[in-house]
Amino acid sequence: MRGIARGMRRRPAKYSAAALAWRGLKGDSWPRVWRDTELKRSYDAVVIGGGVHGLATAYYLARNHGMTNVAVLDKAYLGSGASGRNTAIVRANYLTPEGVAFYDRSLQLYNSMALDLNINVMFSERGHLTLAHSDAALRTMHWRAEVNKLQGVNSSVIGPDEISEIAPSLDTSDHPRYPILGALYHPPGGIVRHDAVVWGYARAADHMGVEMHQKTEVLDILCEGGDGPNGKGAGGRVTGVRTNRGDISTPIVINCTAGWAGLISAMAGVRLPITTHPLQAAVTEPVKVFLPTVVVSGSLHVYISQTDRGELVFGAAVDAVATYSIRGSLEFTEELAGHVLELMPSVSRMRLLRQWSGLCDMTPDYSPVMGFTPVDGFLVDVGWGTYGFKAAPVSGEQIAEAAATGRTPELIAPFALSRFETGELVGEKGAAAVGH
Amino acid sequence: MTMSRLGPQPTEVIDRSTTPRFRWNGKRFSGFEGDTIASALAAAGEHVFSRSMKYHRPRGILTADYWDPNLLVQVGDDPNVRAGHRLLEAGMNVQAQNVWPSLRHDIKAANGLVSRFLTAGFYYKTFMRPQKLWPAYERVLATFAPGGKVDPDTPHRYHDKRYTHPDVVVAGAGPAGIEAAVAAAAAGARVLLVEHEHAVGGHLRYSSQEPDRAALSELRAALDASGVEVLTDSTVTGRYEDNWLGIVQRSHPIAVERLIKARAKVLVVAPGLIERPYVFSGNDRPGVITSGAARRLINLWGVKPGERAVVFTANSDGDEAAADLDRVGVEVAAVIDGRDGRRISAAQGSSKALEAVLSGGTRTEADLLVVAAGWTAPTSLLNMSGDRPVYDPAVARFFPSDPPGNVLATGGLAGDGSLDELRAHGTTTGKLAAQRAAAVAHRYQARTARALPVTGDEPAWAADLRVPLRRNHHPELYRSDTHGMIDFSEDVGSKDLVAAAREGYDSVELAKRYTTATMGSAQGKLETVNTVAAIAEARGETIAQVGTTVWRPPYAPLTLGALAGRVFEPVRVSSIHPWHEANGVRTILAGQWIRPDHYGDPAAEVRNVRANVGLIDVTPLGKLDLRGPDIPNLLNLLYTNKWSKLPVGKVRYGMMCAEDGVVLDDGVTGRLGDDHYLMTTTSSGAGGVWEWVENWLQTERPHWRVHVTPVTTAYSSINVAGPKSRELVSRVAEGVDLSSEAFKYMEVRTATVAGVAGCFMWRIGFTGELSFELHVPAGHGMHVWEALMEAGADLGVGPFGLEGQRIMRLEKGHFIVGQDTDGLTLGPSTGLSPLIKLDKDDFAGMPELAWAADRKLPMIVAIQPDDPNVVPEEAAQIVRGDTNEILGRITSSRMSPTLGRSICLGQVEPELAAGGTKVTVLLVSGERISATVMDHHAHFDPDGERLRG
Repeated sequence: MRGIARGMRRRPAKYSAAALAWRGLKGDSWPRVWRDTELKRSYDAVVIGGGVHGLATAYYLARNHGMTNVAVLDKAYLGSGASGRNTAIVRANYLTPEGVAFYDRSLQLYNSMALDLNINVMFSERGHLTLAHSDAALRTMHWRAEVNKLQGVNSSVIGPDEISEIAPSLDTSDHPRYPILGALYHPPGGIVRHDAVVWGYARAADHMGVEMHQKTEVLDILCEGGDGPNGKGAGGRVTGVRTNRGDISTPIVINCTAGWAGLISAMAGVRLPITTHPLQAAVTEPVKVFLPTVVVSGSLHVYISQTDRGELVFGAAVDAVATYSIRGSLEFTEELAGHVLELMPSVSRMRLLRQWSGLCDMTPDYSPVMGFTPVDGFLVDVGWGTYGFKAAPVSGEQIAEAAATGRTPELIAPFALSRFETGELVGEKGAAAVGH
Repeated sequence: MTMSRLGPQPTEVIDRSTTPRFRWNGKRFSGFEGDTIASALAAAGEHVFSRSMKYHRPRGILTADYWDPNLLVQVGDDPNVRAGHRLLEAGMNVQAQNVWPSLRHDIKAANGLVSRFLTAGFYYKTFMRPQKLWPAYERVLATFAPGGKVDPDTPHRYHDKRYTHPDVVVAGAGPAGIEAAVAAAAAGARVLLVEHEHAVGGHLRYSSQEPDRAALSELRAALDASGVEVLTDSTVTGRYEDNWLGIVQRSHPIAVERLIKARAKVLVVAPGLIERPYVFSGNDRPGVITSGAARRLINLWGVKPGERAVVFTANSDGDEAAADLDRVGVEVAAVIDGRDGRRISAAQGSSKALEAVLSGGTRTEADLLVVAAGWTAPTSLLNMSGDRPVYDPAVARFFPSDPPGNVLATGGLAGDGSLDELRAHGTTTGKLAAQRAAAVAHRYQARTARALPVTGDEPAWAADLRVPLRRNHHPELYRSDTHGMIDFSEDVGSKDLVAAAREGYDSVELAKRYTTATMGSAQGKLETVNTVAAIAEARGETIAQVGTTVWRPPYAPLTLGALAGRVFEPVRVSSIHPWHEANGVRTILAGQWIRPDHYGDPAAEVRNVRANVGLIDVTPLGKLDLRGPDIPNLLNLLYTNKWSKLPVGKVRYGMMCAEDGVVLDDGVTGRLGDDHYLMTTTSSGAGGVWEWVENWLQTERPHWRVHVTPVTTAYSSINVAGPKSRELVSRVAEGVDLSSEAFKYMEVRTATVAGVAGCFMWRIGFTGELSFELHVPAGHGMHVWEALMEAGADLGVGPFGLEGQRIMRLEKGHFIVGQDTDGLTLGPSTGLSPLIKLDKDDFAGMPELAWAADRKLPMIVAIQPDDPNVVPEEAAQIVRGDTNEILGRITSSRMSPTLGRSICLGQVEPELAAGGTKVTVLLVSGERISATVMDHHAHFDPDGERLRG
């Protein structure tokens, strides 16, 4: 493989139908997806957070920049945070040229990921329907469609009859409460098997020499020369990290955490304008597949897709109250069920199987914080709110470039931490601020 | 395995005099009242109930209860019904799920032949090339989705909810749970006892032992006399913060399935234990059943589970199963005692002629293999309470570690011991629960109740002095010397888990995600501990080291219908709505409201307002009644302009921004008295602004003395607009001087209108005409409206709707938050920079607006197409010449009846914001037209002379 050739340390066990058949016949087991190595005392770069963002960053550091002496640290297991808790929806029908360019690149990378990483991430390009239940919402859909049209993004406003053809289970009748008046239809949107993305990046990074260290919790970030206590803070530079398994020296630390981004950054003396809110999700028991597309209703705060396993996966808006608690609430499931039945009364007898919750780091302008910080060698890729999964490949690619070259790539320049001091909030450049 | 009905059993729960008839896969069957679907089918000789997910292997009864993964069936339009639990009803249409084309002949069973290639996660390793074919592969994979079918015509039936506030909720009505409930009730507590099964008694129900039956009668009698509320066929599905419990009641006389929400002062967790399958080759063959299944079939439903049995037992339940089998005439060919280190190694042959293979190689022919290999402790409710149960290898199961003080475990979850010991433990648990509940009740009362004063001190928090239950030694039996099935619903075997662990998916969570073990409909009740054991074995670690997965709610799945309950989002209409309907209204859905859009000819309505006088029902306008001395502080914080000096009797317009400086809402607020204000918001912002206000008051400025009451629906609001509005209002209003000198523009008065006292009236104007906005107590809205209509007949009064209002406000160039602004529009973009007072101490959004003050921002401007007959769509983009570069967009557009031309508001880049700038508008059709940016927002009467008149 073209990408893996560079910086490759060992020959990967290639995945293919033939290999599956061969090993099945011989009864051979597959080698480990990533090695279980000793934690070294020194790395060229340390990535904190073994989710999609951290692993993509490590992968691109190795693949695009030849940096392979890299460790990814996770306090639990790979993909244990938001990467495994999101509802795995990807799309590119954003509003501004910058937003479209950013997410379009991400969608491209998702599209080629199975071949790039040699793992089937099951990108299901099944289309994405954003429903409008009011004149006002329909007006917004028209706006987005017009913008997308000019930007070459495939999305258009469709009416109830067309919606009915695409997703017959939606109630497009003249419903008394929240009728479906139309929808923004975005055929390139879809869902991805999120765990496979985590494992795919980890495996590919491992092949190039990157080390994944699970159950390795970062307790402190070691700095020198800064204006705060212990050499932390502005003007200083990173010298290493302290973990529950000992100290590591490194000149580059990249914070790719979600939920704890503020706490981790504080370890380097960098304050982030982030509040953390839980976002809840739930899944039903499986039934035979009947919903072929992703359905989103902004006014009912719900998004729905059906996995290939037959489960309906539901997501919602973030909880209003900021907290680190990830216990789900009963009220969430009640409201969710009510809204789902508003859209699809026929699933009334499907049973809710489990609910869970993940943490979302929200910033004041609903846009991420990416790039350099006042502490030399300490980079962040955080504040991803509710849209981190969609952006993981492109974020990893860009933040790796920043870390390796010392320059901020143009695509992520609007997301610099310094914008909160200059007031250049992404509001006006808005890659992600509207219409989730 | 050939099952058949036995003669009457002393313990049976069936009524043999009633024989409901039903259909199974199209064929007619009958059973007895009290049968489950599965027991009726088993008694009729059926032995295959489903096909497994991946390999479509035939599956028979395993546990014969709610958790049996092999007994999911479709009943009418109800998918995934637990046939091991659901009681038989006459006329049921029951069908096997996940079979293709039929249960007996399933073509997909061929997958079993290639199972060595279909190891866990195989799909991650293939179907990548050619990429174009993946959608086709995906469609095939999707046909393997297990489960029943959703009938598109399924209605959302009647589901209602119940709220209850018992002192003690006991989850589980086995002997310990019953004793706990009875003891707590005896100590004065109000108790709710929730039992998952159809009757109370737990394992005593299917015991044929005389002492057990005597104890059961005794317990039932005590319970009947106790005053405890008992819910059967109900499950505590989740324990949330502070003992907030979800309980699903599956049998209810009216509701299909009901959600009960209970705030328990103390929760007693007594779910008993769940028998765990043993992992060995062929353990999923029909005919291999748990000891519990054997005993339930025999003793509850009088079903003979086979003719010749091999029993593998490692505990007394297995011994009892062997005794029961022997008693009812099943030949017990061999009893293999797991306590002696003997193991069952494989089940081979067909389901009708099973061969049990011992680890030594000895073979015994049988048609039934009964397995008693140990229990799983269903610790879910403890996990949800924050407890982290601990594994005890000597007993081969998990035990509670340190649950919070208002959650107490008893029964099998807490330990073993004799029946008497279990009952005694239940009793002391019940007493303790009642004592602690009394302390919690006292605390609640002291903190919240005003009407009922609390007497005395809070009772001391009772110490937990319960004697811990004994733990009986049990061999750790997870996997034999062969590989077998671990997750029956997901078709995941021990081999898959070992392979996954070797590949590096070697923590429980990773292995679970990779193999999907424990993710099926039983949610790990049967398979979690075996999964952990398999990973521990692969890693060479102990179960305690590997740890278990997190049990998340719900404990038992519940329908979306029950969760949703009655749809509790009523459609809102104003009290004047019947008048609109009687007068030819065309309505529009606006947020939660149904509003008059127009009455046939909106342009005529506009002309009438401009010439005479019109009435619009603006009831949905958000209204907040504010009281308290700190209101000016609050208004200064939320609005961008200044509020400290608003005199009584004046109203002022204000714009609110969020903390990022983006326009959040706007409206007028009037001062009605010294410490009394009325705030209005946009109709769509009514709920959001209330939350915004409360958020500031409750979390950021809790010391401020302001009380907020949302009164949107308490008042009917009527705007009387037009040059003749003063004349009209003067005919119905009393106690107020309406002259322009006495009642100026932007002032508020309290008046009696059409005999209705306590109406607020303010002079403002969204339409650009002289207008009076009346806020009338809602019950009198219709009366006042009709009085105005009658009084104004000679003035030419007529109604106008939202559309007319929108046209007139557009003629005046007033922006609408959310239409002309969007999620990125900063305050200054509205053109209202003079209202943004950066010299105030603070207000929401101030730092961002201070930054924005120095920057050029996109602006809201009035735009007129050069061709007056073209109305660009409200989405049409403003572009640079012939390119696709976006420079803005049209946000509002209408044909103006007053001006006889098309008019617009739009947002444009700063370079285009100056009056007179020519812009190119790209219509949705693709046509590009030329338009001009205007000097003022107002297309009509820019100086507002009509308004102030």
